[in-house]
Amino acid sequence: MVWTRKALTPTLIVIVGFLTVSPVVMLLLGSFSEGLGAFGTFTLEKYVKSYTDPALLEIIVNTIVFIIGSALVATALAVFMAYLNTRTDIPFKVLFQVISIVPMMIPHILFAVSWGLLLNPSNGLINLVLKQILNLQDSPFNIYSLPGMILVEGLLDLPVSYLIIAPAMSSFDVSLEESSKVSGSSNLRTLFKITLPVLRPAILASVTLVAIRSLESFAVPSALGMPGRIYLLSTHIYRIIATGFAADYGMAAAVGMSALAASVTLIVLYRHLTSESEKYVTISARGYRPGLIELHRAKIPLFIIVALLSFILIVLPVLVLLYTSLVPYSMVPSLKAFGMMSWKHWVAVLKDPISLLSLKNSLFLGVVGATLGVTLTLFVSYTIVKVRTTASGILESLSFLSFSFPGIVIGVGFMWFFVRTPLYATIGSLLIGYIATYLPYGIRPLSSAFIQIHRDLEESSRVCGGGMFYTLRRIIVPLLIPGIVSAWILMATMFVRELSVSVVLSRPGNEVLAVQILRFAEDGLWGRLSALGILMIIASTTLAVLASVAGAKLTKVRKEG
Amino acid sequence: MEIRIKNLNKDYLSDGKKITALSNVNLTIPSDKIFTLLGPSGCGKTTLLRCIVGLEIPGSGDIDIGDEIVWSKDRGIFIPPEKRGLSMVFQTYAIWPHMNVFDNVAYPLQVRHEPKEEIKRKVERALQFVQLEGFESRPATKLSGGQQQRVALARALVPEPKVILFDEPLSNLDAKLREETRKELRSFLTKLKITAVYVTHDRIEALSLSDVIAVMKAGRIMEIGTPKEIYFRSEQQFVVDFIGRTNLIKGRVVRVENDVTLVSTAIGTIVCKTQMGPPVESSVTVAIRPEFVKVTAGDGGKERNTFRGRVESLVFIGEAYEGEVRVGDTRLITKIAPTANVKEGDEIGLCVDPDGCSILSR
Repeated sequence: MVWTRKALTPTLIVIVGFLTVSPVVMLLLGSFSEGLGAFGTFTLEKYVKSYTDPALLEIIVNTIVFIIGSALVATALAVFMAYLNTRTDIPFKVLFQVISIVPMMIPHILFAVSWGLLLNPSNGLINLVLKQILNLQDSPFNIYSLPGMILVEGLLDLPVSYLIIAPAMSSFDVSLEESSKVSGSSNLRTLFKITLPVLRPAILASVTLVAIRSLESFAVPSALGMPGRIYLLSTHIYRIIATGFAADYGMAAAVGMSALAASVTLIVLYRHLTSESEKYVTISARGYRPGLIELHRAKIPLFIIVALLSFILIVLPVLVLLYTSLVPYSMVPSLKAFGMMSWKHWVAVLKDPISLLSLKNSLFLGVVGATLGVTLTLFVSYTIVKVRTTASGILESLSFLSFSFPGIVIGVGFMWFFVRTPLYATIGSLLIGYIATYLPYGIRPLSSAFIQIHRDLEESSRVCGGGMFYTLRRIIVPLLIPGIVSAWILMATMFVRELSVSVVLSRPGNEVLAVQILRFAEDGLWGRLSALGILMIIASTTLAVLASVAGAKLTKVRKEG
Repeated sequence: MEIRIKNLNKDYLSDGKKITALSNVNLTIPSDKIFTLLGPSGCGKTTLLRCIVGLEIPGSGDIDIGDEIVWSKDRGIFIPPEKRGLSMVFQTYAIWPHMNVFDNVAYPLQVRHEPKEEIKRKVERALQFVQLEGFESRPATKLSGGQQQRVALARALVPEPKVILFDEPLSNLDAKLREETRKELRSFLTKLKITAVYVTHDRIEALSLSDVIAVMKAGRIMEIGTPKEIYFRSEQQFVVDFIGRTNLIKGRVVRVENDVTLVSTAIGTIVCKTQMGPPVESSVTVAIRPEFVKVTAGDGGKERNTFRGRVESLVFIGEAYEGEVRVGDTRLITKIAPTANVKEGDEIGLCVDPDGCSILSR
């Protein structure tokens, strides 16, 4: 017992260290090697080759414009929505809850593709409709452009940004605003002179976090950037390893190093900003809620904007996919289109062995990966929260390291590793890659569950006569179950739709859903793509529902027992 | 049940430094009394409590509860907390948030696998006792602070233990509720004939609740006595100072009579009531509680323990004025009745009861 407790922290450090440090080390070694086959012979050739490429400058400029643009779009929308929700009398506030959570359930690749289906220049649905109505020669919109990509990425990251801005907005001391109004300022002037400046740390934190996520993003750059020949760092790496005659993993690693460096810099900045924002925003524990700002005539128009946003974020992607999966080719919704609807694409998908294999693989990865991932994070969170030694501090830093890893870069790092092991091109390689990349997402809900179990709750059970195992069974496990369930759901849904690690590690034989969807997109098989996409949404939703039902059952049984 | 603690020591390692939490504690806690451990934070009172209940393992010494040895370093005995048959009310109440009130209170009985009907009957009685009847199915998260405190008490009472330990159970309640609960707790515990060990840093709580108080400082027991003995008759400066506001005046013993000692000080000679005063010529400190410094109508005259001074400040605190009166170069704190006709700057006479003057030995 004593031995196992002492060995726990070092064992976890070894496991987590392997998962998070080894891909980085392999990436570094790989970038100085000649290729997967010639590992270990030191050369600077790949760096010279990749950083003297004249196309690289444009790629870097594109990447910077893309991440800054989407960070600004997402944060501006989030500030607007958070202000309306926390400070005004706008109706149907439930909608804001929905907006902040539900879009996380829709896989990014599908969201991006559905916008492509609506606004692509050759046969996007909205373009077709506008051409018909306005009698135009050319399509008015082109989503395969940098502004298009920025808009879609900004919408995708809106929930993340909202979850940072809204709590800050609702917790800050309203008397700061009230004193401005007492001094004679209007609502609008107060908003720009007081509210937004006070919220500056939260806003900067949101901008940074969205920038990190869009730097790591692969779905939007691949589904909307590549058709328009607009390359970002992530798609540039993808192009190096997945297209052309020979995949050059050495060059991919050399380019990946700069993406990794950028991401780590942003993470450090983000950590600094969040610690700063805790100092800045004054949270006062008063039971008094101030009166909400009345919107009067602006109420209905503002509400329509919010309703439209939620429609665009949640309903539209699913609707477009459903429609596309049923019509034979892209056409404007009409009586004729509805007449021609059939299950053709669905049948094709269900008969396609690779699609079925990818569905099976993704479900396996979701269930097994989340279970293994939660088991590991359970021990890691316990050590971080309850053991609290220098060693557990190291473990904490190690396990949050992968938070700053762009999936595709980590995929390349793992590639260098797996190619030397029998795990290469197996489902096991994906399993390890997923858990390494998404470890922090499991640690967060579980460590807050452990924090909730105050030492007194355990000790009080022991004083009442409950031995160690009795206490474990009746107090600790039931209190942990909600945290375990949400960590499992988070990991399972992320694994079912995982794209950026998979595009590197997925080989013939271990295909997964998101990669298969990307293949369909590259081949222009929109109908099959939509059908498979809907299957993907159904798969991850089913896992989430089953897990929460099981969680509710488990806690109930414990209560009575 | 009587608790006997012998030569108890406990050290902590914090940031590589050794901190002494308990230093050679010897203590007998009498049975069926409310016994309070009082002291400033960090004095080791909670550590001592946790050693008694078994959540903390002392470095050395012995602890007996009734006839049972629950800890002995020399004999290698350690009874784990779940086998000691004690009850404890935690500072945070430690109400389990995933259970309702019934399950929280029934827990100690469920652990012992008592029959279902018996559990139901006992829980009902315990809830009735703390005036929470009808709350059985209420989720623990839907309770106010005061109700949580009562549930914690009911859970501690339900197994009918011989000893209950309290770790600052009132510190999370607001002032008014704290006062009410204190009174209730006192009447509950007196009714039950139970040994209660109570930890607090609040002197009013200790004085009003306890039968016996032990004052602690830096891991040591400084003094043990009834609330009155501790308040009026303590001879230790730390205890006198900690237990209430007091005037400390330095002086020299000039004469010892059969039950009084005369001390010469900067404000004049003070007559103190003593049993066995220190010898003549020794340097001492005289402690006088503000409530014993009374305003006299006349000029004070030539009677014993009368002084004249000027009122420097006067603060109305509700039930009285708190005044600072300057006698020579010495400031005396005094409590003045709100009806007294005194204002700042007045020259007044003061008179001190010899019963209220004690001579501190240390």
